[in-house]
Formats: sequence, structure tokens, C-alpha cells
Amino acid sequence: MFSNRQRLAGLVIGVGLVASMAGCSQGGPTASTNSATTATTASAASTVSTAPLPAPFSAGQVHIAIVQNTGQGDYFQQYLNGTKLQSDALGMKLDVYDAQGDNATQASQLDQAIASGVQGIIVRHGYADTLCPGVNKALQQGIKVVIYDVEIQKCSPDAVQTQQSDAKMASLVLDQMLSDVGKSQKVGYVNVLGIAPLDRRNTVWEKYKADDSWDQRFFTGKYTTSSATDTAPMVYSALQANPDVVAIYAPYDELTKGTLSALEQAGMTSKVKVYGADISTADIELMTADGSAWVATGATDPNAIGAAVTRVLALDLAGQLNTKNVEFPPILVTQQMLRDKNIKNMDDLRAAEPALNISDTVSADWIPAVTF
Amino acid sequence: MTKSLTPLSREDKASPWVKVQDGVVKYGFLAVTILLFAYFALTEPAFATTASIFAMLKFASVTAILGLGMTFAMVVGGMDMSIGSQAGLAVQMAAMTMVFYNLTGGTAIAVVLVVGLVVGLVNACLIVLCKIPDLLATLAMMFVLQGVKLIPVSGQSVSAGMVLRDGSVAPGKFTAAFLQIDRGTVGPIPVPVLIMLVLAVATWFLLSRTKWGRLMYAVGANPEAARLSGVRVGYYRGLAYVLCSLFASVGGLILVSRIGQGDVSAGSSSLLEAVAVALVGTSVLGAGKPNAWGTLLGALLVGIVLTGLTMKGFQYYYQDTAKGLVLLVALLFSYTMSRKKVRYSPAT
Repeated sequence: MFSNRQRLAGLVIGVGLVASMAGCSQGGPTASTNSATTATTASAASTVSTAPLPAPFSAGQVHIAIVQNTGQGDYFQQYLNGTKLQSDALGMKLDVYDAQGDNATQASQLDQAIASGVQGIIVRHGYADTLCPGVNKALQQGIKVVIYDVEIQKCSPDAVQTQQSDAKMASLVLDQMLSDVGKSQKVGYVNVLGIAPLDRRNTVWEKYKADDSWDQRFFTGKYTTSSATDTAPMVYSALQANPDVVAIYAPYDELTKGTLSALEQAGMTSKVKVYGADISTADIELMTADGSAWVATGATDPNAIGAAVTRVLALDLAGQLNTKNVEFPPILVTQQMLRDKNIKNMDDLRAAEPALNISDTVSADWIPAVTF
Repeated sequence: MTKSLTPLSREDKASPWVKVQDGVVKYGFLAVTILLFAYFALTEPAFATTASIFAMLKFASVTAILGLGMTFAMVVGGMDMSIGSQAGLAVQMAAMTMVFYNLTGGTAIAVVLVVGLVVGLVNACLIVLCKIPDLLATLAMMFVLQGVKLIPVSGQSVSAGMVLRDGSVAPGKFTAAFLQIDRGTVGPIPVPVLIMLVLAVATWFLLSRTKWGRLMYAVGANPEAARLSGVRVGYYRGLAYVLCSLFASVGGLILVSRIGQGDVSAGSSSLLEAVAVALVGTSVLGAGKPNAWGTLLGALLVGIVLTGLTMKGFQYYYQDTAKGLVLLVALLFSYTMSRKKVRYSPAT
């Protein structure tokens, strides 16, 4: 007969199965109807558009997928939020494939997305060498493909390549640095090469450094799963060796954070100005803290970029996209401006700087643009 | 086997409840797999198309192959913690052979298999000759290999046209033939799926149809008893780790062919997946021990669940939860509900 232990086990399995099914039934409808009940950090509004829809939108629901290298972290969740809301506003069905940072998985998921019969695919981050076979296969089958932040055109010349304008982001911040500290100064540089957006920012840095006769006393930084923590001791050592720098350019917010904590440790916060990149609520707090050395950064809103990429795909599906390259412009955010306007988080910043929405960057009269 | 050895056991006067329980243990997992497949196929029209099923099988192939390798280590009562790092090492070795040294794809395959063999022998030596417990020896090797694979490439992902340390440009690239390992097809069937099936049949044959396999199980069940019966325990444990390493290398070859670069992080997520599918495999058909078909089915089930949930619009964190639940249900089937003694308990 059943022992008590076995009865207990049966009960545990039974309860477990019921619980997991309940999990399905609650999650299912939310996802399949693509309603806007997903965690939104930004309250979104969309303009109502009355213009007639072009094909294939006029013919029924358009099915698309996003194949992302990783969705972990606030930035990527906001990006996906923007993509979802814009795709809802256009009445599209969006499947989300997430490789969790595993490149081989991303290649497989691209295959799966193609096999699932979607009309358009957004690919976000990853290696061109890994993604090109899938992207070319999709294009051959008539699926529209829009890529974000991958140099895809070296092996898939027909894919649409998009990215935030890293060159603009760097030059906005470096113009500010030039006007703050002037030419011919001793400066430090914290960056990691070999990562596409950081390489693009590096190109601009090299130009400014040469044009303005900045004397680069050190170049350090490390890209890891905890870049800020791992970079701080490196910057600290560099500061010990070069205590006379007046400004540091650290064009990635994790590196900027590491730089700030190194300055604090070295007791040099008041002597050095830090110029960074990227923005988040946590970054705003750091910039506006008393005596913060971080004086300027370049900002885009990941929600708005996620939405804009979706609009690029929509235009491409409708045959109305007349370019293969789209760049999304950032804005300059200074410590002074954050303090003057009493900006404490991303919502405040969005309210103060509508330009972050980039809602007119890629659009058409039939696309209801979402704003955040 | 247990049945024939225990003639007076409870099942002779089995009540209907016990039969139901045995049925659940034996067919429960198969039923769950079929039901989930049917559910996804009925609710998502794109799920059961040929293209979609092959994409899913291809996705599951590397996990399945590493899981088969892990099955050998688990059959002898151990575990290879370094399996993911070994796959990663294979990725870098293949990429370096072709990109740095401009050699052919065939050479790259040979290099990877030889390196796999060597690493397997090192693991076997540490465990058998140096008498370090399996988990600890392979844990140390996991870290060693994670670092070793990055030393010759200065921590960078190896890709065609990269600048080397001496400032010159890497002369080679991934050969078209090599890329066919993952990207090619035989008829409609993707090559990695074929490799997976061949290795599954080979594993099954070796473990269930040869003396070696049976002695491996004997060593895993009770090494002392096996030793007293005259089995060369050390030899069979060593053999299991060498086979495990070779399978890891094959998995790595498919990975690098899929990625098209010597990706520094490749393989890092493979360890837990391989352990999970091999453990799930112990519950298939109430085997109660690691086995080839169970591992294969475990990998396919994980593939079905992940593909299905993605098509249903669930985010990645649901998928990790789902993977964990699949493993948990499998463990309940084989450890809690089964009346057989389970032949795998790594803590001992």
C-alpha cells in the first residue's frame, strides 16, 4: 500500500502541477493580447492617428518578433517596454525571444523566429558573424529585418541597421568638457575597446584629444559583469600615479560610476570633473549628489529607442523606408540643468526634455507615435 | 532488474494504487512531454510546423550532446563540473586554429578532439590517480579551463580580421565547410540534429549493450562491490570522464560553428543545462538511473517548453522558472515517488 511518504509526494506533485497551470492561465492572456499591462516604468501616451493604414497593416494583424541578445537589466527592460507599446499601438503581435546573453542561443532563436512565420524581425545586439546567416535567410524569405547596434551590413548588406548616435553622444559631452576645462589640459580616459558603441565613442574622443591638445595621462577600465566595481581600483591606481588630471572622460555609465567611486576613495572628488555617457535614475542621483564630480552626460531614453526601432520596422513592412541606416540622436544632460530643474529621476527628465521621445525621428502619418 | 531480485516484494500483492503510482513513475514524464507538445501545437499554429520543429531540435542539440556526456560521468556516480568550460575551450581552439593559423576546418576539428581527449585524461588522472573527489577535481578544472582558453587570445573573442598582439591582422577565417557543422542540412535535417541522434544511439549502445557500459553502471552503483568482484573501477571511472570530455568537445564544435566567432562566453551556461537534462533523464520510463534516451528526451522537453513559452509571449525569467520546475517534477518522479532505489546520489 501507499506509505505516508508516497502519499505526501503525490500531494506535492499534484499541488505543484495545479500551481504551475494556474501560473499559465494567469500569464497567458496578458501576453497573448499584448495589452499594456507589462511593467512600465514610464507612463506612455500615444497619439491617435486617423490616416488610412497601408498594406500589410490594412489586411489584418501583423506578426513580428524581437530577437534580443539579453533582456536582463533595467535598460533592456525599458527598451522592450518601448517596443511592446509601439507594437501595440500599431496593432501588431510581438513575440519576444531572449538569449540571456548566450550568442549560440540567439542564433537558434533567430531560426525559430523565422520558422514561426513572422513578417518582420527586430534583432537587438549580438555578433554580426553569428546573426548574418539567419538574417540573410529571413531576407530571402521576404521577412523584413531591422537590426539594432550590430555591424550587420558587413555580411548582410540588405538588412536595415539602426543605432543610437554614439558619435553625437560623445561630441555633445566633449564640447561641454572643452568649454568647462579648456584646451591643453591633463586628462584621464576610462574606456574599454572592442565593444561597438564604446569604439564609436572612442573615435570621437581621439579626435577631440588631438584637436584640443589634451594630454591623456591614463587610459584604463575593464568590461565585466560588474564593470563599475572592477574598474574603480584601476582608476584609483591611475589617479595615484597622475594626481594632476583635471577631467576624466568615461563614456559608459558603469565606467563613470567606477570612476566616481575611485575619485571618492582618492579624496579627489572636488578637483576633477567627470564626463560620462548614458542615463538612468541611479545615474541622475549620482550626478545631483552634493559635490558630485559627474558634470555632464549624453542621454537617450531606452523606451523611446525601443519604440523608434519598431517604427523603422513598420515603415519597412509598408515599403516606405527609403534608407538602410537610421541613427537615433541623444541629448546633452548637465549636472547644472538637473539641479536647476529639480530633476530626480527618469520621469522628471522625460517631462523636462520632450526631445528624448524622438517621436518624430522615424514616423509617418499612419503611425501612432508613443511618448513616454 | 530490481523486480527479479526481490521475489517477495510488495508488488506481488499490488493494490490498484500502487499500480497507478508505478504507472505515473514510468510514463508520467513521457505523458507530460506529449501533453505539453500537443498543447503548444494546438494553441500556437506556428509551433508544430516542420521548420519550427527542426529549429527546436537544432536548439536542443548542444544541450543534449553535453547532457549525454554528463550522463557518462553520472553513470559512474560522479559529475563533471568542467563540461561547460570544456565546450568553451573547444570554441576558442577551433577559432584559433582557423583564424590565427589559417588552417582548414578539418584540422580545427582534429585539434579540438585531441584537446578534449587530453582534458578528459587530466580529469581522469585527478580523480582516479590523485583520488580527488569528482566534484572538486572538475570544479577546479572548470576555473582552470575558463582562464586557460582566454590566455592565448588575450581575453578577446576570436573573429576573422582581428588585430593580433603584434599588430598584424589575423590571416584566416572560419572555413565555409566548418560552418556547415551547424548551418548545413542533410535533406531537411540540420547536421547538429543528426550528430545528436548518432551520439545518442552510440551512448545507448555503449551503456546498455556492452560490457563496458554495464560495468560503468556497476561502478556507479557500488564501487566497493564492483572492486571486490574484480572490476577495474579506476579504469571505468576514467573512461567515463574521457567520454564526457569528447562529447563536450563535439558540443563546442557545434557552438562555434553556430556563433561564427571564438566567443569568450560560449559554453558558460551549458553546465547547469547539461546536469539538468541528465537528471531529468533519470526519471524517464522510471529508469531511476542516468541513461541515453532519458537525457535526449530531457533535452527535447526543455526545448519544447522554452519554444512554447516564447511563442506564448513569456519573458526569460518565466523560462528559467519553467526549466527549474521541469527538473523538480522529474526529481519528484524518480526520488520521491519511485519505489526503486535511485542509482544516482552524488552526495555520497
